[in-house]
Amino acid sequence: MSSKKGIIYLLIIVLLFFLPTIIKDSYFLYMAILSGIFVILALSLNVIVGYAGQMSFCHSAFFGVGAYTSALLVMNLKFSFWLALPLAMVAALILAFIIGYPSLRLRGPYFAIVTVGCAEVVRSILYNWVDLTGGPMGLPKIPPPDPIRLGNLFTLTFNTRQSYYYLVLVFVLLTLFIIIKLMKSKAGRAFIAIREDEGFARSIGIDIKGYKILAFAISAIFAGMAGSLYAHYILFISPVSFTIAESINVILMVIIGGMGTMVGPIFGAILLTALPEVLRAVADYRMVLYGLLLMLVMIFLPGGLMAALRAVASLFSKGSGIAAKGGSIART
Amino acid sequence: MDTTFFIHLANGLAIGSSYVLIALGFTLIFGILDIIQLAHGEIYMLGAYCTYFLLELTGMSFFPALVVSAFVLAAVGLLLERILFRPLRTVPLLNLLLITIGLSIFLMNLANLLWTPEQRTIPTPYMLKTLHFLGLAITVQRVLVVVVSIIVMIAVILFIRRSRIGKAMRAVAQDKEGAAVAGININLVRYVTLAVGCGLASVAGSLVGPIYLVEPTMGATPVYKAFVIVILGGMGSVGGSIVGGLLLGVIETLSAAYISLALKDTVAFILMVLILWVRPAGLFGKILE
Repeated sequence: MSSKKGIIYLLIIVLLFFLPTIIKDSYFLYMAILSGIFVILALSLNVIVGYAGQMSFCHSAFFGVGAYTSALLVMNLKFSFWLALPLAMVAALILAFIIGYPSLRLRGPYFAIVTVGCAEVVRSILYNWVDLTGGPMGLPKIPPPDPIRLGNLFTLTFNTRQSYYYLVLVFVLLTLFIIIKLMKSKAGRAFIAIREDEGFARSIGIDIKGYKILAFAISAIFAGMAGSLYAHYILFISPVSFTIAESINVILMVIIGGMGTMVGPIFGAILLTALPEVLRAVADYRMVLYGLLLMLVMIFLPGGLMAALRAVASLFSKGSGIAAKGGSIART
Repeated sequence: MDTTFFIHLANGLAIGSSYVLIALGFTLIFGILDIIQLAHGEIYMLGAYCTYFLLELTGMSFFPALVVSAFVLAAVGLLLERILFRPLRTVPLLNLLLITIGLSIFLMNLANLLWTPEQRTIPTPYMLKTLHFLGLAITVQRVLVVVVSIIVMIAVILFIRRSRIGKAMRAVAQDKEGAAVAGININLVRYVTLAVGCGLASVAGSLVGPIYLVEPTMGATPVYKAFVIVILGGMGSVGGSIVGGLLLGVIETLSAAYISLALKDTVAFILMVLILWVRPAGLFGKILE
């Protein structure tokens, strides 16, 4: 990473930290927090879909299991949020093994369909296990995260939008940091090798199944985390929020932003969280437009917004021949 | 022996035969066009609506309406091939999967807008009549589902095995390039496959419409069940789809009756995951690396 880029990223982070003091509108903060949670979901789905190249439709299941585990532990067993959050991640991880172990052997589209089935099974369990999950009525009155006390010096509470914004921001940055580190490691390179050419990756000794399960597990862990953050922010969860439609929504975020890029899913998540607000005037047509959008993007812009941006950028740098060439080599 | 068991069995066979019709089209389209047509359930839904409107608005009787709907949806299939699938021939399989999901969301919600989410029943006289057979009372409509499905299945099998174009379809399914070299008109084969597949889904929708409710979301689960059936029975295998479809229909109905009603729509998926656990190679090896 060049130092120029580093400074830009640092500035963006600083800006994000001061955002609540600049824009005080409560509804804006609400949308910002929701965007943050979806950024975590999109970034984590991107690991399995964008980098390892396996289309998964059960992100909603990990999101849901994370949300329900965390909420139930806090409400029924009186766990602290700070213990329930990592346990929600563990629950999602266990589910990822149960689903991934038998199904990651399958080739692309078959794996995709099995994940559709798994998402449906999990939703059905959440819906039908009324004694535990409240069934279609959902779980109301989930408490917000308990405050952090440092002796008598100060207390951090998380019952205001401002404070929750910072909590989510920290987790978004943590997710981003870990995923960037992961993608720079040996495992990250293995994911991309599997995506590009599975047969070749196998021939050079990459443990295909092991790395696929790793990518799936990491993707699930962060989805579980997002679930916990979601449950203790919205304070009410029901199976409606964890359907296959939700998975498709997150897939759209990743695709529209740009699969296999770090910035793309972030853009996509913010854009698609804000989009329903923009489309509120045509609320009735929203889902029709969604379907159309998914088709059009996949047909005309399979690389997402990031690919479009790059195309535009290379158009402008065409004049300086060598620089443009250098750029394209660096990209491939 | 408990008679209710046989009633459930008969119901299972009825719903299973409609699954067979959906799965047949689904597996043909996959085998010949290399497309996982996840909007196939919406074709089934449109077939049911078409029959409903023909009955309600024109006063046509049930069987002519079923045939007309099949032709209308076959035409929709031709249109899909012309404006969507043929131009996208070179697109990777996974991208196509997402495109058909987009199409499915689009059609489902379009139906929702046009015809409201209101649940409708196709008014046929066959729902009110019951047939008494070995001490069991079964509605005529359910018997019709099975009988018509069997006739259609036999027709499809004969068509694929005997007719010239059917043989061409099998050739394309086995080896596209080889078939093209041998002078088979691939475009025609693709058209015929989509027309037949969509027609079959429409027949399934028309047959089941009077028993279950006609609504925009009715196609959402059958298409995934078709996929499970195809995994059970073998991709591209007509016989496998028939056995798999009937089996799934029966298992589903029995588990809903004797274990839990909530299981009805999930048992297919549980079955699929179980098969993958117990027999890692699947019931057939083709789907694996």
